[in-house]
Amino acid sequence: MKIMHKKIAVLVLILATTAVLQCGSADETVLRIGTQDVVKSASLLGDSNMGVFAHLSNPPLMKMNPDGTLSGQTAKSYSVSEDGMTWRFEIDDNLYWSDGTKLTPEDVKFTFEYISEKYPPAGWIKNTVDDISVDGNAVVFKLNKPYSRLNLEFTTYNILPKHVWEKIDKPTEYTNEGPMVGCGPFVINKTDLGAGVIYFKRNPYWKGREPKIDSIELHMYENADVLSMALEKGDVDAYYKYAGTYPYTGIQKLKDTGNFDFVEKDNVGLVFLGFNLNKEPMSDLQFREAMAYAINYTEILKIDALGYGSVPNRGFVPPSMAYFKETPALEYNPEKAREILDEAGYRDGNGNGIREDSGGNDMKLLLLARSKFQRVAELVKEYISAVGIDVELKVVDDATWIKLKDEYQYDLTITRTTPWGMMMHANWGTGYFDSRRTGEGVLHVLSDPEFQKLCDDILAATSDEELEKYAHSVQDYYAENLPGIALYWNKVFTPYNRKWTGWSSDPLYGIYNLENFLNVERVA
Amino acid sequence: MNLARYVISLFVILSLNFAIPRAMPGDTMTNLLGEDVILSDDLVQEIRREMGLDLPLREQYIIYWKEILRMNLGYSYHFHSPVLPLVLERMKWTLLLAAPPVIIGALLGTLLGALAGWRDSPSTRLQTFIFLTIYSTPPYFLALLSLYIFGFHLGWVPMKGFYSTGSAGNIIHHIMLPVILMSLFSASRNYMIMRGSVIQERRSLYALYARAKGLYDSQILFRHLFRNAILPIITLIALDFGFIFSGALFIEMVFSMHGMGNLIYSALMYRDYPVLQGSFLIITIMVITANMIADALYGLLDPRVRGR
Repeated sequence: MKIMHKKIAVLVLILATTAVLQCGSADETVLRIGTQDVVKSASLLGDSNMGVFAHLSNPPLMKMNPDGTLSGQTAKSYSVSEDGMTWRFEIDDNLYWSDGTKLTPEDVKFTFEYISEKYPPAGWIKNTVDDISVDGNAVVFKLNKPYSRLNLEFTTYNILPKHVWEKIDKPTEYTNEGPMVGCGPFVINKTDLGAGVIYFKRNPYWKGREPKIDSIELHMYENADVLSMALEKGDVDAYYKYAGTYPYTGIQKLKDTGNFDFVEKDNVGLVFLGFNLNKEPMSDLQFREAMAYAINYTEILKIDALGYGSVPNRGFVPPSMAYFKETPALEYNPEKAREILDEAGYRDGNGNGIREDSGGNDMKLLLLARSKFQRVAELVKEYISAVGIDVELKVVDDATWIKLKDEYQYDLTITRTTPWGMMMHANWGTGYFDSRRTGEGVLHVLSDPEFQKLCDDILAATSDEELEKYAHSVQDYYAENLPGIALYWNKVFTPYNRKWTGWSSDPLYGIYNLENFLNVERVA
Repeated sequence: MNLARYVISLFVILSLNFAIPRAMPGDTMTNLLGEDVILSDDLVQEIRREMGLDLPLREQYIIYWKEILRMNLGYSYHFHSPVLPLVLERMKWTLLLAAPPVIIGALLGTLLGALAGWRDSPSTRLQTFIFLTIYSTPPYFLALLSLYIFGFHLGWVPMKGFYSTGSAGNIIHHIMLPVILMSLFSASRNYMIMRGSVIQERRSLYALYARAKGLYDSQILFRHLFRNAILPIITLIALDFGFIFSGALFIEMVFSMHGMGNLIYSALMYRDYPVLQGSFLIITIMVITANMIADALYGLLDPRVRGR
């Protein structure tokens, strides 16, 4: 009997301890974010999701504001010489690492020298920057050619403490489950992959504006439905997904609870129809024109985005990007598509319902789609078939898609751009088309010297006026040549519990920006 | 002779283990740097060289065997860890999640299945209906539905992860629902097979003879029929143990658990050859060992096998 009592006592003790630990400190204000961007390893430079999440603890030199403009973050301010060859970043002298060491310009210099050598995505720095030097409290980058996008590039790279990272030879292989040394208002205290949580705590040496929350927890969910349940139940306070929106099908359900509001923004990324421009008939502008008229944009928007967005323009670039230019809207007109195809010589000579190409063969095109865009691809197949072209749809996983598109084993493809993807290379989506670049998500199919010169001009622009002019030229180029056709411009919804207020979002990382986490507070 | 058979199996399976991931489109560089990163061709080649992907397949195959014999399973560029500790860490959790259901499912399924096969009554018919329903429900759906009821509505169980605080009670609290679900799946399958097996055996002459001898029902069932009826279940349980590390994929996905199923799925998506090879090596060894044990058990239970 005594043993039985002991067992019961131990069980009660375990349960009580669990309950106490789960409750945590009642006074602490903890903001819990639920995300599907699952970190696979606690590697700041090796795991792309971890790299984004570390923006709070190791803020990049620059930041993007909610209106899409750029300003300094770890840098207090910045300037560029008239020839665009020298960039000077004045470092905020009020920043301290979480171990008490002051952040110096040497840390910034070290970061860029270090990642250019040891972090492949930053390898371009070696080829563009001749010298990085420290001048007083500033870091000066001397370039070997003008590069107008340097300030934009610097919104992505986390600043690293030299005294920690100089000892690490292979940063992409380095993992640290915490605590990590950071200089932001919050630093990573622990990355617990078993629990699926990244814990941020306040940086005790933060001297900037005081945050209104004590700690942040990022809860990672593999399953979108479970994350939605967790949000509704109150396990997490807000939703975050890089380059993505809360599922449109769940928005009304959350609204109906009366407990949620949404940060609503125009997406910078988009879903588009790409062409293999190295092959006929895709290399024929008239064919692409016909395709542009064959697609029912309103229907795609309604079915795939539940109407949360708008029919795009021929200029591809969405209005949420800087220097957007209004170009003619894309129009669904299958009759006109047929006329254009007839005029271009793609006629159905043998009356079998399928048009023939210049060689007299039935036009049969391979539409390669990534599995997440299967529904859109099925619709596009239907539209193109309706104007007399046979389409074989091949839906594949991402790895297969990357291989097939890199080997140009497709005619048409359905894929997407991300916010950063739209801004990489010469900005405005150019990185997806320029054949001189490669990468997992890009098509690299456009070798037109006119387009490539435009890209080079943008990269070498030395003033905002020049940039604006070239940005408009790029959008005109897209509108006239249709190297890719945007299928819809959609909205990004980020739900948050009404118990919290002060949310803001930027076009690049959505709510995952430092300003947002300094402003967010619990409703009194 | 048996040992030679197992060694040959091991060699063939491990060779397939090398070939199959490489036969898939894409390679281990896939998804390594992120979707929205642009690179030069030179840099891509340099990374491929570093990963040994530029070597001819024959050379890669020789290196693969050398490393296996040294028990070096390689390094994962996606998980930023040597494969062996990574797999061992995940195995620990999956074992905790998937081993109890194999045992519970075996005991529950065989026992209830044997009783249901022996006696037909309203209660056994209801049991059969319940187990058949569970057996034919997609695991993903049932897991999500259970989480919706017990996690979301009733709030009895947490919605994700192996733990939140890491205490024993906390871990049990987190894995309770997944373990119950997997136990029910395992039990339902064993139940259906055992029931069918007992129905077949009870019509045998030796069962009739036992009854004629005047033995009680329980004696006939558990002393005579059970030994014969359980043979197919032993094979299945052996296979369950073999696939214990990969079988919990759906559960791990729904409950956001970082176990072996999740690891293998991610490795497949990323074409992470070292992790795939390491995981399949473990599974291969487990399956072969489990089969060896099953063979031995067959010998113990069935004198006809012992005699061969």
